[in-house]
Amino acid sequence: MTFTQFTTLAAEWMPELLVAAGHTLKMAVAAYVLGAVAGLLVALAGRSPQRWLSTPALIYIEFIRGTPTVTQLFLIYFSLPLIGITMPAFEAAVIALGLHYAAYMAETYRAGIEAIERGQHEAAQAIGMTRSETMRHIILPQSLRIILPPMGNSAISLLKDTSVASLISAPELMLRAHDLTSEYYTPMQLYLIVGAMYLVMTYPLSLIVRRLERRASKGYRTGSS
Amino acid sequence: MTGMDWNAALTYLPYFLEVLLWGAVTTVICTAGGFVVSVALGIVFGGFSSSPSPLLRGIAYVYVEVFRAVPLLTLLFIIYFGLATIGLKFDAISAAIIGFGVHGGAYLSEVFRAGILSINKGQSEAAFTIGMTRLMAFRYIILPQSVRVVLPPLANFAIGLLKDTSLASAVAAPEMMFNAGRLASETFFATEIYLLVALLYLCMSLPLSYLSRSLERRMGKGYAR
Repeated sequence: MTFTQFTTLAAEWMPELLVAAGHTLKMAVAAYVLGAVAGLLVALAGRSPQRWLSTPALIYIEFIRGTPTVTQLFLIYFSLPLIGITMPAFEAAVIALGLHYAAYMAETYRAGIEAIERGQHEAAQAIGMTRSETMRHIILPQSLRIILPPMGNSAISLLKDTSVASLISAPELMLRAHDLTSEYYTPMQLYLIVGAMYLVMTYPLSLIVRRLERRASKGYRTGSS
Repeated sequence: MTGMDWNAALTYLPYFLEVLLWGAVTTVICTAGGFVVSVALGIVFGGFSSSPSPLLRGIAYVYVEVFRAVPLLTLLFIIYFGLATIGLKFDAISAAIIGFGVHGGAYLSEVFRAGILSINKGQSEAAFTIGMTRLMAFRYIILPQSVRVVLPPLANFAIGLLKDTSLASAVAAPEMMFNAGRLASETFFATEIYLLVALLYLCMSLPLSYLSRSLERRMGKGYAR
């Protein structure tokens, strides 16, 4: 294939690939929001003194972190119909990825919360705050500094992990590339373009994360790692 | 299949286990192979990125940024389907090991860089004064000492890699997830099979995660942090 042939083909594919990249972004954002919210709930449940809250949360984290994303995705996609819930592959992928990242984000929140000194809890209690008020007004705002960089890293890996959704035929970038490959028989060119498109999407994020990391450690003697 | 039929699934259990455990052998081979390649590339590029030469640092930067930004699945497709069209044919397992290796190498080079930079400058200076070359100092003085810093994240990486090998099913490498897909389309016990697969992955990853936790504790010992 000459270079001109390649550019003509690339121009032909590009509109379709860009639409598919839009779906990838949509999937990533939806799964990220789900993961961030569910992750916070899991983290708070895991820290609860109530055993019936903390034990399931810890089992959840261990299960999710111990099994592959693909397995979880297949389990959700192929099992939900059995209990009467049918949903399109896209939604199933959002749920699977969201629940997957919830476990990792819960660990991020936990690290952030635990990094705040005990004195802060005690001081909040001393002025009469309840446990949830302390969490909401004292602990969480301070742990944000520690939480942000790993949350950014999660966003980057989540964006890349959406590619796995192509395995259950959810419409996104990798699936589009797969379809085009079977039409044009040019896997090398297509997957290189797709790889470059993922790079274009994740590189700005990775620059932001690096800046967050620098800012997080500023003015503090100990780093945030 | 209209619902879960655990009794029927149970009669198949020995057959499922046999096929899945054979898959697990390939999973372990992919993990071990990918790990060795990743560590080798990680040491080389980690050494590059902590070297004083701007050229080597530039090479390492590009390698790390590119291979961390491209999803593993895309990378596997480029290697397995793409390279085949330009005459470089690999069987699925080798393609997977190469893919996991170059992808993991990018992650590990950051880990090794951190490990190398954590060693006091005086160590390499002392090595130079007794006449060691830069390479000798790296090999005999810096690298062995950085093991303490590098080992815990290395164990975590191994866990991630073990789970990521499930992606090799997409290029038809006969590992556990691939065999599970085969069983599922053969017997329609998708839920039961994927649950079983999840449990088998847990059986492999949980011991690793205990190992990594004990490494973290042991490696921190005797050093003020």
